[in-house]
Amino acid sequence: MNNYNFSRYAPKSSIDIGVFLCRCGGNISDTVDIEKLASSIDAKVVKDFENLCSMKCQKNIRDIILEEELDRVVIAACSPITHEKTFRNHIAPLNPYLLEMANIREHCSWVHSDKNKATEKAISLTNAAVERVQYARPLDAIVRKTKKSAAVIGGGISGITAALSLANQGVKVHIIENKPTVGGNMIKIGKVFSPEKLAEECSLCLFNPLINEAVQHKNIDIMTNSEIKSSERKAGNFNLLIERKPGHVNEDKCTACGNCADICPVEVPNEWNENLMTRKAIYKPFPQSVPDIYTIDDNNCIKCGKCEKVCKMNAIDINMEGEIVPLNVGSIIIATGHKGFDLKKRPEYGYGRYDDVITQMELARIMGVNGPTDGKLLRPSNGKIPRRVVMVQCAGSRDEKPEGKRYCSKVCCMVSLKHASFIKHYYPDTEIVICYTDMRTPGMYENYFRHVQSKGIKLVRGRPGDITKKGENIVVRLEDTLRREPMEIETDMVVLSEAMEPSEGTLKVAETLNVGLTEDLFVKEKHSKIKPVATDIEGIYVCGTAQGPKDITESVSQANAAASKVSEMINGGLEIEPTIAVVDGRQCEMCGECVAACKYKAVYIHNERISVDPVACNGCGICVSKCENNAIDVMGQTDAQIFAMIEGMLKDKKEGERRILAFVDYIGYVAADNIGINRISYPESVRIIRVPSINRLMPKHILFAFENGADGIFLGEYPDEVMYSSIQEKVNEFRSALIKNSIDTDRLMYYKVYAPYFRGLANKLAEFDKQVGKALDKLEAVLYKASYKDL
Amino acid sequence: MKKIPDKEILLFKSCLVNVEYPGVESSTKYLFDKLGIEYIVSERQSCCTGLGHYADLFDQFSTTALAARNFGIAKEEGHKNIATLCATCYAILKKSCNILNDKDDIREQINKILDGSGCHELNYDADDMDSRENIFHSVEILYNKADEIKDLVKVDLSGLRVASHHACHYCKVHHKDTIGNARDPMVIETLAKACGVETVDWYDRKTTTCGNGFRQRYMNKDLSFSVTAEKLNSLKENDVDILLHMCPNCQMQFDRNQESIGKSVGTEFGIVCLNISQFVALALGADPYKVVGVQTHTVPVDKVLGKIKQTNLCQ
Amino acid sequence: MNTLKIDENSFELAEDIIKDLKASKDLGILKCIQCGMCTSVCPAARHTDYDPREIVKRVLDKDETLILDDILWNCFYCYTCHSVCPVNNSVCEITQILRQKAIDNGKGKPKVAPFSAYGESFLEFGLGSIPSNFFDDLIKDFGKEWLELKINIEDIREDLNLGSMFLPKKDVDDINKILEKTGFKNRLNKLRRCRDEENTR
Ligand code: SF4
Ligand code: SF4
Ligand code: SF4
Ligand code: SF4
Ligand code: SF4
Ligand code: SF4
Repeated sequence: MNNYNFSRYAPKSSIDIGVFLCRCGGNISDTVDIEKLASSIDAKVVKDFENLCSMKCQKNIRDIILEEELDRVVIAACSPITHEKTFRNHIAPLNPYLLEMANIREHCSWVHSDKNKATEKAISLTNAAVERVQYARPLDAIVRKTKKSAAVIGGGISGITAALSLANQGVKVHIIENKPTVGGNMIKIGKVFSPEKLAEECSLCLFNPLINEAVQHKNIDIMTNSEIKSSERKAGNFNLLIERKPGHVNEDKCTACGNCADICPVEVPNEWNENLMTRKAIYKPFPQSVPDIYTIDDNNCIKCGKCEKVCKMNAIDINMEGEIVPLNVGSIIIATGHKGFDLKKRPEYGYGRYDDVITQMELARIMGVNGPTDGKLLRPSNGKIPRRVVMVQCAGSRDEKPEGKRYCSKVCCMVSLKHASFIKHYYPDTEIVICYTDMRTPGMYENYFRHVQSKGIKLVRGRPGDITKKGENIVVRLEDTLRREPMEIETDMVVLSEAMEPSEGTLKVAETLNVGLTEDLFVKEKHSKIKPVATDIEGIYVCGTAQGPKDITESVSQANAAASKVSEMINGGLEIEPTIAVVDGRQCEMCGECVAACKYKAVYIHNERISVDPVACNGCGICVSKCENNAIDVMGQTDAQIFAMIEGMLKDKKEGERRILAFVDYIGYVAADNIGINRISYPESVRIIRVPSINRLMPKHILFAFENGADGIFLGEYPDEVMYSSIQEKVNEFRSALIKNSIDTDRLMYYKVYAPYFRGLANKLAEFDKQVGKALDKLEAVLYKASYKDL
Repeated sequence: MKKIPDKEILLFKSCLVNVEYPGVESSTKYLFDKLGIEYIVSERQSCCTGLGHYADLFDQFSTTALAARNFGIAKEEGHKNIATLCATCYAILKKSCNILNDKDDIREQINKILDGSGCHELNYDADDMDSRENIFHSVEILYNKADEIKDLVKVDLSGLRVASHHACHYCKVHHKDTIGNARDPMVIETLAKACGVETVDWYDRKTTTCGNGFRQRYMNKDLSFSVTAEKLNSLKENDVDILLHMCPNCQMQFDRNQESIGKSVGTEFGIVCLNISQFVALALGADPYKVVGVQTHTVPVDKVLGKIKQTNLCQ
Repeated sequence: MNTLKIDENSFELAEDIIKDLKASKDLGILKCIQCGMCTSVCPAARHTDYDPREIVKRVLDKDETLILDDILWNCFYCYTCHSVCPVNNSVCEITQILRQKAIDNGKGKPKVAPFSAYGESFLEFGLGSIPSNFFDDLIKDFGKEWLELKINIEDIREDLNLGSMFLPKKDVDDINKILEKTGFKNRLNKLRRCRDEENTR
């Protein structure tokens, strides 16, 4: 057992402690013999009150603290969850963190009925608090100010919206866009649907004013052709390095006359028109591009120099070099968007094989007035108006097969209806057939669905298995599931409603910034319900389709939400509980174990020193348990405090008495309180100790407890996604420590706690008590046998 | 892509290859030898139960017990990487392997049966084999050597149009383990291209079954033939000279039945049927009769043999 | 009209199938969205009244008459449905399991009995083979050459330098013992009896 280092368990010095006991109007005193309790506690002052939380008592406490010159206070009363904050405030002038509470109501008088046993337990709970409070240190709340600037990555509708919102609140915003122009996907889609007006509106007309506002805004700086190369966190701010690729055209000189493009000999597919037409190596993506200048695409330019010569403004510099720009910001918003699913992964659909099998985005370009056909609906194969257009829903979505996307892409049902409506309006003779599994038009969108249906579109319920060509026609094969019959649909054109997937930019940025991704590789939000725009790194937020499939409406509201989270941090500043990890630079050997261990990415290396971001740290303590050099500690949960607590809980244990220490996290503690509130009983042997997480505990704590007389150790924690795997590792680590020390592993139990399921916890505690009993009987039998042999 | 071995291989014999297209086995051996692939065949290996299994005659438990025995032999002979000649063997062995690894009770029952049948040494322990890492189709082993094959080609086969039929029980049953996209694996095309021949990369009905359907060929011939006819028609429309397969069952369906099917739909297809290993062997200069075994084919292989003669004349 | 009775568990058949040894891990039967993609690629559905999507529907409705339905015997076991189903369901496996149930209940026996000779040959040699009762029919389609091939196969194999395809006697004996213990012999005997009865009829 000497492998473990108990060095931090320092002896206590003389400290004056006041212990205040509460009767709680009989709630406690009916079951706990307060006189006996008072006489069993060793402290400078021990006093009991009828209702400690009443105003009058609070004043009393303060008077006594001053009169007796107390250094520390223990309150033995109700649960700290209810009143700890109140009592902390009332021990002033003492530092609020010099208080410890013993929960003798929810964890004792309300769950036990045997007065003797309850009193014994109350004594040990109070003792533990007395022991522990001696190691309490004064702490101050941490106040953090965030820099009044932000980087928004991605200049699509989400990024522009978030940037404008912040800029209007006086925050300096840098939009970092990797393409030569801002606008993202929205600029390409031509029309947007309006479920209220039951009409299609021009997306450019909606979006362009916003882009222009952003361009002209004094607080917004737009960097196109730019990417984040690296990011370093420093005291809550971010030091970014931005790589600006050369556009080879000087922004201030170019008049966008286009002479250069006319002369350029290199012609390549134009990605802004889904490769349906071509552009030159020097080009402007589309007429409304921002910035409004030409740009050279380095991958295709052959450096012939012709454009340079023809440019009257001398704007072109073929040899222009890229640059690296440093940027320091307080927050980051990821708005890097999505891309369309690569339909070549579904070869049976014939995309890429037949010209007239296209995607919805391609159809959008074809129907865009600034697109390849100037807005006319024409078949790519022969330039004729299609007699029939078949749309195939869920192409790549809702598909668990390899490379498929398991999720619903959420917008494609509405997109197909939008395009159907538009086509029906301008080409009433073209028939529309939509092959669907479910039409998903939630909320008000259902109105729009009905509106488009009434224009006369044909719906066939079935998911096509294959698309082929027969003579001149394309043929879509599916089952008409409502007729229970395989079916072939002849058509001129097929539009595949392609799934949405995270853009390459999303994946890259996530990697550079080290933010977590979902299984589907979108940026993971901290909690889909209550923290929908926060990422797993404090100060970095996400919005739009980088976070998951969504339409423009949703993207815009999420963008505004992200912006308001940023300004919340900037304006409010943050007051943070000081119960977080602190590094002792003298002991730290920079091994980085803590950086790797922290699930909240709160520990980082800065200027060759380990730092902890106080906002990100949740005080779980896993870093402490991983640090070999005792160089990191969690305030309020130091080794000394934990050891003292264990010792106090086990103090004066009687022969034959059973004591079980139950270490639980916050949720576990709340569940235990609920057991008390509902007056459900469990064995008196159980003593509950709150820890930030089981991850804070180490084998030395567990072994120390057993050595000091614990009969069993119970570990309860909510199986939080972030923490769960390390909890499992932890529990296994404890098990092997027990085995090494020949302690029956039946004397240790781990249980997943859920706050509403407190009955389960009560049952588990009872079950564990029995299990421990058996293990001890077994041990006794072995010992008896051994001693018998000796005889 | 999964890791494909080139040594410690047990070439797993197939019942239909044995008696219908033995040239598939000899061609594969010929290629393995040329490519320096280390393998053995075992006389103790039994059949996988294929046709019996998918005709519903064999139950899954018996099939799995026989697979365990064969796995035992592979382990005992130190050649744990199984390469099958037949897609059915491939699918059945993989499935059995998964069952043996995943279901403790079944594994124990089977081990008991092996014990009681004098095969104690062939007992199967969980994870003795991994269906992804130890069980392959022999064509995958060749695919892995496509680049080397390119350098060994002797016969000019250009001018022939070939198309593939990737056996369903290779690409669909364990689709996660299929090389490339299970919906259109280009394994056969890649090998054919390495031999310098033009491939028809897609044709309507490419992913449809050969039509054999196990019991269907014998009990529901018309149904079986109408499916095969769909494929043959499409191949004909695409002017395909040779259809390349990787399974003797498919090969029988397309080769042996071709004439009858042609009669029933009033056409003559004239599509040569070869296993891809036979085709590659021919391209590398193997003897059509002593190695490739064209004498057991029903549709004459003349189109290809003519090419070989030409090449020989030129040399 | 169909009434879903209050205490009725309509998932029993589906759960039974999920538990079957043949069912893949995580067989997605309960997740079926009735999209019909399986039917759209199914060769049997194109040429017969068989509909894989409907098979799943009937299983989920606990329609036990399905086991007695001749329709089951149209599936090719081509696994095309299995390879594209977006929820990882497999009608192919479901049909295989249902056919085994049909055999167990008797109705399916005559369907399988004609393949008994495969089992007989397996027990004799440890090798699979086309059941000899189909030979006459096959020769009509394959031509006489095929018969010659059957006769000359040993010589051809020798020309191709292939060793014997037969297993040593000890191994054939072992295989017989194994198949006795797995219950296969017993099963085969029942099917043979069924075949012989059909033949005499
Ligand atoms: S770079 Fe020069 S030539 Fe090209 S558009 Fe700008 S001003 Fe005109
Ligand atoms: S230098 Fe490049 S961009 Fe300019 S004309 Fe030549 S190829 Fe085009
Ligand atoms: S929105 Fe509609 S088309 Fe798109 S994945 Fe969802 S159900 Fe399929
Ligand atoms: S206490 Fe937890 S959250 Fe805080 S730094 Fe340590 S590991 Fe991270
Ligand atoms: S089994 Fe699969 S493919 Fe068939 S209907 Fe159900 S979900 Fe669709
Ligand atoms: S396995 Fe059966 S159900 Fe599935 S596609 Fe093939 S024939 Fe149809």
